[in-house]
Order: sequence, then C-alpha cells, then structure tokens
Amino acid sequence: MRNSPFSSIWVVCPAYNESTAIVSVITRLRQAGYDVVVVDDGSADETRQLATASATAVVSHPINLGQGAALKTGIDFALEQGADAIVTFDTDGQHRASDIPRLLEALVSNQADFALGSRFLTEPLSMPRMRRILLWGATLFTVATTGLRLTDTHNGLRAMTRRGAQALRLRQNRMAHASELLAEIARSGLRYVEVPVTIDYTEYSLAKGQRTGDFVMILLDLLAGKLYR
Amino acid sequence: MIAQIVLSLLLGIVLLYAWAQYRRSPIVAVLACVVSLMGFYFVWLPSHATRVAEFVGIGRGADLVLYVWACISLIVLLNLHLKLRTQHELLTQLARSIALANAALPEDASSSSPPRTSAFTEAQTSQPRYQLADGPRSGQTADQRA
Repeated sequence: MRNSPFSSIWVVCPAYNESTAIVSVITRLRQAGYDVVVVDDGSADETRQLATASATAVVSHPINLGQGAALKTGIDFALEQGADAIVTFDTDGQHRASDIPRLLEALVSNQADFALGSRFLTEPLSMPRMRRILLWGATLFTVATTGLRLTDTHNGLRAMTRRGAQALRLRQNRMAHASELLAEIARSGLRYVEVPVTIDYTEYSLAKGQRTGDFVMILLDLLAGKLYR
Repeated sequence: MIAQIVLSLLLGIVLLYAWAQYRRSPIVAVLACVVSLMGFYFVWLPSHATRVAEFVGIGRGADLVLYVWACISLIVLLNLHLKLRTQHELLTQLARSIALANAALPEDASSSSPPRTSAFTEAQTSQPRYQLADGPRSGQTADQRA
C-alpha cells in the first residue's frame, strides 16, 4: 500500500464455501494494493479455485477446522512471509477495503499493536434487533472477562503489527476464537485501539453470520478451553 | 460385604485414574478424587449415608451412593470430552502444517519470500512433498462455517 509506514502488509481472508462473494472481495483488496492470503477452510465449493485465480496466495486446510483455525493459519503464513502488518478480513463481503488504511494509521498514530474495527463507533446501523442484543451481550461478557474497553467484540476486521501477531496464542478453532483473540490481547498487555469501520449487511452476509444458538456454543467452548491446559 | 468390596475396588480404580490425570487436567482429577472419596465413605459407613441422605432429602443411603456414582460417571464423560478437544488440537496443528507446506504462491512471491520454518516443512526436506488430492473432501458438516 502506498504511503504506509508498513513495508509488507498481508490481508488474511478465512473462507469456507464463499464462492459467491470471494472474487469481488479479493479483487477490491488487490486493487487497493494489498497482498491477500486466502485460507480455504476445506470448502466443498469452488472457493479454492476462485481464490487461486485472484489472491496473492492460497492456503488450503485439508479438512474443515473452523474460522478461528483458518485465521491462525493465515496469520502464521503472513508471518512466514515477513509481514510487518496483518489485517484480518471476512470474505462474505461485509467489510470495506477502504477501512484498512484507517486501521493501519491507527496502529502507527497510537503506537498500538492491535487496531480493532468497531461498527458501533460509526453512525447508527440498520442491524437486526436480535443481532444487536447478542452483540451487546458479547461485549458485556468480554469487558467482564478481559477488562478490555471495547464497543464491538465480534468484528472480523482487525489490523495488528508483527509483534502483536506473534504475541497471540490462538487455540479456539471455531466461533469462540473472537473472544479468545481479545483475551489474548488482554493477556499480552500490548496496546490496542478501536477504529470505526462500516459493516455492509447483506442477505448473504447475514445468512453466513452467527446465529443465536452459536453464542451458547461459544460460551461452552470458552469454558472447555479454561478447563484443559 | 461383597458389594462393599466390589464398589471399593471400582472406586479405587477411579482414584488411580484421577491420580494419573492430575498432570493433564487438575480440575477433573480433583473432582474425581473428591467424589470417589465420598463414595468410599458412604460405602463403608452406610448408616452415615442414610443420615446424610435424609438430611438432603433423598431418603435412602443407597440412593445417595447411586447418585454419587452417577456423578463420577459424568465427570469421566467430561474428561473424555476434554480429551477429544486435545486430540482435535493436534489434528488442527497437523492440518495447518500440511496447509502451510502446500501453500499456493505466485512464482515471484515464493522466490522472494524468506525460507519456510514450519515444523512440517522441516520434516519434509528430505522426503517427497506431500500432495493433497483434489477430489471431494470428507468430514464436513453444513454448520461448520469458516
């Protein structure tokens, strides 16, 4: 990316059966000048083939492991490639590539290692009521368990420095990874900042998103993670 | 007396299991220990069991012992679940290593990138490179979203 203090920026896109949206998402990121690694999480559709044609790199899980595992794989890959800034970006089309420069700028201007996107720092969103309640509950839970002062705890758009990425120990494969990532930020003691970003809710992204029952599984996963070393 | 000996043997096995598990999961081990020791106590002092059972509103001491045994079974089930999680973590590490070792990179990027350092890659240096099949994948469920 031009005018960035970072010499190597990699955008990590975890993808599972995202053939509908992946090409347009990657194209926008590539046009913005970013290196994109797509982590195909054992998709059964054409995701991997489509990603191979448009992304900088594609890493394919031989079996479906979950979004948390895909993110971790993508971050590991970016670190291996020498990235000094890593951005995580959902492939269902809900994020905007134009928000990334603001995240990266926030890392530099705040001397932070994590810049976390927040949909609630922008203008009021037209969001389904149930989703708003669930996200509010998740935010309360995160504040109570990690002490981080955040407004949006389940936003897939984040940027981190190399040091930040190396400090993360991610073990949650599935949906609990977002909470675990925040817990890891708290544990690392590194500086974080929230940055307003825009989420584009489409019928497709809502269908791919989390459901009410998923939050029960997230709590169970987090509990099980605490019980075992 | 026979029943007490048999039950004591079984409870002893649970204690051994708890001791063996302590390093892997102290919480599960301590819980199993406490519950099995309670089992010992009530098996050998059934009159106490009856008194405690009456106190907590169960009625018969034998029923209380049965409930304690059910608790032990549930704890073992929980431990099995946690073990499965551990196995899954190992599977994840293996799958990640395979994925990173087989990353599809454009030629220019792969030539300029630093040497790969994943454990799997290092293990593969003197062996033929693992090649994934392109056919349909198995083991996927519809709700396993990335």
